[in-house]
Amino acid sequence: MNNLKVASLLLLPAMFAVAQMKTAAAPKPNGTIAITGGKLLTVSHGTIENGVLIIANGKITAVGAADKVSVPSDATVVDARGMTVYPGLIDPDSTLGLTEVGSDQNSNDLSEPSDEIMPHMHVADAFHGETELIPVARLNGVTNAVVAPGTEDSVAGQDIFIQLAGRDREAMILGRDVALAMNYGAEQRRRGGRGGARGEFPSTRMGLITQLRQNLLDAQHYEASRDAAEKKKDKAADKEANKGSDKDADKSSDKGTDKGSDKPFERDLKMEALLPYLHGQRPVVIGVYESYDIETIMKVAQEFHLKVILNHVTHSQEILDEIAAWKVPVIVGPIYDFPRANERFDAVYTLPAELAKRGVKIAISSAEAGGPGGAHSVRNLPYAAGFAAAYGLPYDEALKAITLNVAEMFGYGDKLGSLDVGKTANVVIANGDPLDVRTDVKQVYIDGVAQPMVSRQTRLRDEYSQ
Amino acid sequence: MKLRSVLLRFASGLIPISTLIANAQTTPQDLVLKNATVMTASHGTIEHGSVWVHAGKIAEVGTTVNAPSSAVVVDATGKWLTPGIIDPHSHSALDSDVNEATSPVTPSMMMVDAFDNRDKALYQALAGGVTTELLLHGSANMIGGQAVVIKNKFGLSRDAMIFPNAPRSIKFASGENPKRVYGSRNQLPSTRMGNFEVMRQSFENAKVYMASWDAYNAKVAKKDKDAVAPKVDLKLEALADVLRGKLFVQIHCYRADEFLTEEAIAHEYGYKIRAFHHALEMYKVAGQIAPENTAIATFSDWWGYKDEAWDAIPWNAVMSMRKGVRVALKSDSNDHIRRLNSEAGKMVHYGGATEDEAIRMVTLNPAWIIGVDDRVGSIDAGKDADLVIWNVDPLSIYARAEKVYIDGDLFFDSSAPGFGTPHFNGAMHDAGGFGSDDSEDGD
Repeated sequence: MNNLKVASLLLLPAMFAVAQMKTAAAPKPNGTIAITGGKLLTVSHGTIENGVLIIANGKITAVGAADKVSVPSDATVVDARGMTVYPGLIDPDSTLGLTEVGSDQNSNDLSEPSDEIMPHMHVADAFHGETELIPVARLNGVTNAVVAPGTEDSVAGQDIFIQLAGRDREAMILGRDVALAMNYGAEQRRRGGRGGARGEFPSTRMGLITQLRQNLLDAQHYEASRDAAEKKKDKAADKEANKGSDKDADKSSDKGTDKGSDKPFERDLKMEALLPYLHGQRPVVIGVYESYDIETIMKVAQEFHLKVILNHVTHSQEILDEIAAWKVPVIVGPIYDFPRANERFDAVYTLPAELAKRGVKIAISSAEAGGPGGAHSVRNLPYAAGFAAAYGLPYDEALKAITLNVAEMFGYGDKLGSLDVGKTANVVIANGDPLDVRTDVKQVYIDGVAQPMVSRQTRLRDEYSQ
Repeated sequence: MKLRSVLLRFASGLIPISTLIANAQTTPQDLVLKNATVMTASHGTIEHGSVWVHAGKIAEVGTTVNAPSSAVVVDATGKWLTPGIIDPHSHSALDSDVNEATSPVTPSMMMVDAFDNRDKALYQALAGGVTTELLLHGSANMIGGQAVVIKNKFGLSRDAMIFPNAPRSIKFASGENPKRVYGSRNQLPSTRMGNFEVMRQSFENAKVYMASWDAYNAKVAKKDKDAVAPKVDLKLEALADVLRGKLFVQIHCYRADEFLTEEAIAHEYGYKIRAFHHALEMYKVAGQIAPENTAIATFSDWWGYKDEAWDAIPWNAVMSMRKGVRVALKSDSNDHIRRLNSEAGKMVHYGGATEDEAIRMVTLNPAWIIGVDDRVGSIDAGKDADLVIWNVDPLSIYARAEKVYIDGDLFFDSSAPGFGTPHFNGAMHDAGGFGSDDSEDGD
């Protein structure tokens, strides 16, 4: 048995590097790993003190108390005594891989400003897997994330679901076009400028909603026309096949065809992009902040039977019961958003607790309120959940809001988000409570592979520590 | 009838009287915060410690205190007690008037003139345990305006919130911001070369101005009746005060090379730099800067929002501290100012600061940067009774400020209904924005 003592090896920085190289090399990608002696936060079935977690072929193959799980003889044993072991964290709302240096436009692919309705923008096309931001986030235990476009457009594009490791983009993207990113509110970009100063439509929230509704109607019409054209084409093909046997019938059918029928049907990629969402096949994530805006956009969503995930809702205190009644999941945040003037200081801090209390399934994102934040702050995801716990959200719910709940919202509930047999082995070992700022993450596994615990930042740290 | 109206008048007159009594109860002559885990920031942590406050000052701290029996006692069993949190870099409560970006040199701008004491950002910071703030000019100009130091006595008058007799600070900036602001107008400066030359020229002008006054004063001393006083120039007067050492110099600055250039210019013109703000690359040259006795006010973990923040690492604070630099954390944000305590907690994670070192980064060290460390920033006898009671260890993510005292007076009480502000019940102003001069650059 190759006994890697995570706890003792990590005491000295010099040994740290050695330990990491060893860890990265020792457990072969598909080797068997036994993490023993740690406190397991399973998320799905409670906490196991002195637990054992077995990883084989990139999957979790056993989870349980030390006396109930046997360690395979070929396993690399990782001693996690005094450590906490939990599933990799999942950020439900990031821009990882779409930005590098915030102020450098050439390194940003966030928003397409030419139109408000841009469902045919695919984050997968811009995602830069080699970004320096991903190892930084991974070091704090974030193993998966939703990547969404910037929030300027009413319909901004389609999200991807990633894991924060892999040789290249293909290996990192677990799902393309997993959700449609929508936004609504006073801050939305309108080509007419607010108040119509530029003389173009739209310039108001009324304009934005009408434009959205028209586009959804257009997409429905597009689908009907496309299907009709498809049917005609099929008929024509049938006729072609029967040509030899029934010449007359063929002639008569030619007569009845429209003039333009010979032209191939012209695809409209923008309209086509909306169809899976109009069919409720995938969720739309609607970013919206104010109560009245939430009510407005939900009317449209219900009219078109969209499968909604609400995002932000930081100023929704007046309509929490209404939100609960809609039975839609909610990404709350930034939890650090500012209360309005003359609201109590904790009006937003307490929102996750208030929503959870009403039975709403919540996720929490890494978003920050005042500052650069964004993709650079994904590593602070656990602290946002911890902060929600400080203001009344039960601890287990807080952990779930950055693991299992996110996985379930985006269709990965059977693969990720908890320590359960059969799930992908995205596992984190830390020296304490994962939600606290003082805790150090010691080792991250993705697909059962121990990730090198280095980033551009640790390299700079080590270079200047000498 | 007459009697009734008199009574009514008397009854209505009672309201302010009872209010006065209520207020008087929040500022007792003697107050004891009893049996807490006391993080003093200057001499370690005292388990089961108590603090006796007399007339707004800390009279005694220890496991027992000799307060008179008349003292009001607040039982803080199971709670944590720290000095008030101090933010050495904020742009709150200025109604977005942060930058007079019409010239790269504007040293006579006085931030106090823009101070709005009813801004909701002050209240939200107070609820996060913040008792003192340095409100700075922005970073558009190489030489910006003069800061105002406030005590966060939310609900009191504007004047009552100004920190009495605090040293004067002036804001300098270098790097991308002045470059961008003036470069985009095709004005000087548009490079770091231009940045620093603007500074040198300003001090040359100040020296000429000072010489003209010296000459005049010499004539007056010789009883020369024909002596004509030079014009008082507010801008040059302020620059002269930098050279006279009357202003604490606070410099917005990111890159290692710029710290060295700034120190060289300070040596050339004979002034001291009190602190570099942001200072995200200090870990690269901390050994060279430490002997200058220049502190830093830095972020815990912001990075990557602009080119000069690309080499930022979250170990910066602790690495610089270990090399002998005095380190404070600051907000530069209406968001982070509400939770500087847990930002300090991150320093336990990034580099292994002790809890003592971490709490000092948001109390005593920022107090030194502002120049008020003899009066606030630690729990020591003789200091202002600016104190925070926390539900749990303030460095934890679960910490909530429960009670905040300033000068021994209760200004925030989370258990009180409504805002929890004994001195405030009016309408707050909303200055909008994030109160962050620098986050805007990331956009």
